[in-house]
Amino acid sequence: MDWELGDFAVDHALQRGASWAEARVEDRRIDSMSLRNGILDNVSVDEGQGLGVRILVDGSMAFASTSRMEKGEVREIVDGAIAAARATRRTHGLNLGEVRGQEVRWEAPQAQPLAEVGVEERLAALQAMDEAITSTGLEMPGRVLEIITRLFERYYVTSEGARVRARIPRLFAGATLQAKQGTETESGFRWLTYTGGWEGLEALKPGEVLAHEAEVMHRALKEGHRVTPGRMDLLCGPQVTGIASHESCGHPVEADRILGREASQAGTSFITPQSLGERIGSDVVNVVDDPTVEHGGGFYLYDDEGTKARRRYLYKEGRIHELLHNRESASILGTETNAAARTVGFNREPIVRMANTFVEPKDHTFEELLEGIHHGIYMVSFTEWNISDTRWNQKYTGREAYFIEDGEIQGPARGPSLEVTTRAFWSAVDAVGKDFYLEGGLCGKGDPLQGIDVSMGGPHLRLRNIPLR
Amino acid sequence: MDVSSQEIVARALKLGFDDVIADGYVVSNLQVRFSNNEVDIANQWREYGARVFLALGKRLMTTEIHDPSKAGEVLETTLKILKGTRENPDYQGIYEGPFRYGTPMVDPKLREFDGAAGYVHEAIAAAQKAGAASCAGTLMRRLEAHDLNTSEGAQGRDERASVELSIRAFSERDASGHAIAAATRLSDFTPGEAGRKAGEIAALAKGPRAGEEGRYDAVLDPLLFGSFIDAFTSMASAMVVMAGLSMLQDKVGQKVASPEVTLADDPAQAAGMGHRLFDDEGVPSRRVPLVEAGVLRGYLHNTSTAKKFRVEPTGSASLRAPLGFLGPMPSNVTLQPGEYGREELFSGVKEGLYLTNTWYTRYQNRVKGDFSTIPRDGIFRIKDGEIVGSWKDVRVTENLLDLFKRIDGLSEERHQVHWWGEVSVPTFAPYALVRGVNITRAKE
Repeated sequence: MDWELGDFAVDHALQRGASWAEARVEDRRIDSMSLRNGILDNVSVDEGQGLGVRILVDGSMAFASTSRMEKGEVREIVDGAIAAARATRRTHGLNLGEVRGQEVRWEAPQAQPLAEVGVEERLAALQAMDEAITSTGLEMPGRVLEIITRLFERYYVTSEGARVRARIPRLFAGATLQAKQGTETESGFRWLTYTGGWEGLEALKPGEVLAHEAEVMHRALKEGHRVTPGRMDLLCGPQVTGIASHESCGHPVEADRILGREASQAGTSFITPQSLGERIGSDVVNVVDDPTVEHGGGFYLYDDEGTKARRRYLYKEGRIHELLHNRESASILGTETNAAARTVGFNREPIVRMANTFVEPKDHTFEELLEGIHHGIYMVSFTEWNISDTRWNQKYTGREAYFIEDGEIQGPARGPSLEVTTRAFWSAVDAVGKDFYLEGGLCGKGDPLQGIDVSMGGPHLRLRNIPLR
Repeated sequence: MDVSSQEIVARALKLGFDDVIADGYVVSNLQVRFSNNEVDIANQWREYGARVFLALGKRLMTTEIHDPSKAGEVLETTLKILKGTRENPDYQGIYEGPFRYGTPMVDPKLREFDGAAGYVHEAIAAAQKAGAASCAGTLMRRLEAHDLNTSEGAQGRDERASVELSIRAFSERDASGHAIAAATRLSDFTPGEAGRKAGEIAALAKGPRAGEEGRYDAVLDPLLFGSFIDAFTSMASAMVVMAGLSMLQDKVGQKVASPEVTLADDPAQAAGMGHRLFDDEGVPSRRVPLVEAGVLRGYLHNTSTAKKFRVEPTGSASLRAPLGFLGPMPSNVTLQPGEYGREELFSGVKEGLYLTNTWYTRYQNRVKGDFSTIPRDGIFRIKDGEIVGSWKDVRVTENLLDLFKRIDGLSEERHQVHWWGEVSVPTFAPYALVRGVNITRAKE
């Protein structure tokens, strides 16, 4: 692997008139395997390399990439990027701010390296997931299960002297499920993520998780009742806490979205640059995004612009506290990047992304949260969900959910649905649990779409007097 | 040197594989992204490689070869991996011919495409003239060459090119319109028209008020209707049906939509951005009827699923399908136009809505088709056929099969739509009038 092609690309860009340049060289291996109702459907291996370069010329930006790792090819794509930038001259020139490049090397540790895991072991793990479901004896006519591992090695270099070498292993275990009883059906989906080696399967316990899902779906089909619409208290499990953190906090504080750069795709935001300090929830709400959470699905120590990662308080004590930035958005808003620049690969520009987004745990035990509820719903997990592109009007429909009466969990509630504004959701939180769990996720943004690895979660949350149906 | 698919097939057969498909590709795409009426970035991509399907008996695998000098090494590694897997009883081989393909028909002006920023500024200017204050979007020129070879003797070359512009115009913070211009010939590309439409919707959407829950007759813009068609068609893959995840399971021959609806996948249609001469097994492209006058006629198939369902392959096999092996996927969807003028559809609405775009379509139950989606951009109140106001913050909470059965009219006018995530497969869609669309909204 010729990592120095990155340095060559940057040098060539400067020689051709770029005022700034970065290059990313990547070596990847992606292994995936899927079972469809017990049948081994797809085994896939993708090993490859590539180089991407991003440049600034007279305040205009261009990006180019190639999967052909040859000097002549790199020279051509850099020349193409320079010409493209010149052809798209901006009225307001871009400036990425002053950054002193660092030389660093980081990697996510692997107790059992992914590269050493053979196909038999992968297949056995996938088979074990399926057997965990089928051994429940429940009718599950739709079972699509997959295990994917991704190993990326990247070399990042800038004209400011940054040299970052990174090795990022990630493991995914996912399932799309369909349960059936007579003519009635339920849908389910899980996506478990671990940054690290094959030992992650021990931590994720996909077999246990999926067997539980099958049992929950069937119990809902057999015993579940619909909710009588009205106002009641809601106890959110960590998966629901996580999706709300991701959708109605993490996304709206993305500065590129606020600036309109994603307006025609992932949308805009109800937040403006002037919103910092505005109240959005109750005092007990702290939502953070922290790339440095070990083994989290969005773990990294340096972002894809070479900036050291740190915890960001997005909502703090119920107020909008900090936006997520890459260098471009930070420069436009006159601040500093907080290391939220991420790319899915060498062939995409780095844009503002979340990493591991969650509510910070506080002091309540599960029992304390529960005993305070006279009449309500415990929404453990969700199925259908969506949110308006300004991140204001959202819906979460319970997948595993139960009625609560006088502080006691009762039978399953089928498909309880919460359709509220962002402010209504976070303002209704009156107590935050001390537990903590992160679920994996694949977050979509950018054009072409960049589905990036993240996690989301936190503790149990109690919301008061919220409309459910 | 490009990766030779013919050589890959020959080497793989020599190593002992039974069936081989190699799709050698060269991709050269250009894009301009813009927001706030300015270009943000110009992107260029070059990708070279071969996507390879390999079968050892009924043991199946796909891989990529990017470096021709490593083709032998990749194939040998693949053989070792495959020996550690197990058979797929659903696999029934790959297509054995006949192979007769047309000639690639790429507009040379798209191959030599130049002046992307000029088209962007044309669209922005048209939107501003129509009342927009600010615009964002993308322009994309796609150009890819394919060299397909299979162990059953398929040898096909195809070149595919298209250009599309997606523009979202804002007249104020809460008032926007979105439109698409998409074509396979530069002379058919109308960025100014897309800008004008986005700007007009944005101007009309000014001062939206919160919408109200209820059931409404609704005129669906092709962009939004395209999203529903996309959701419907994705369920027509035989592999999705076999996985037990389709609302169309066991419904062939049954009514799945109103008699107005005739739906097909037609990769042979040259004007479609999803046009191709053959699928990834080498099956020649043809029009595949899915729904005729509201009745489900069949699914999309590869050779194996076709044998299982005792029908002919439909030319829908994809080496890049997210589900299954050579998973059948739609490529270029077309919904037959109706007999109404656009204005006639509006005049058929006494109390209702005109919905122009949507996003974030998610299922509560895929097999039943229960879903919700969030309309965005212009959401208009109609009374007695006239637009009388603008709404915001509503959600369509529906059942996809029921919704298709409530289609009461389609326009003669059709547009090719393809948009970020929601309309993932290029689709020719008319305006649609749907009765009793269920609208919900956040309670507070």
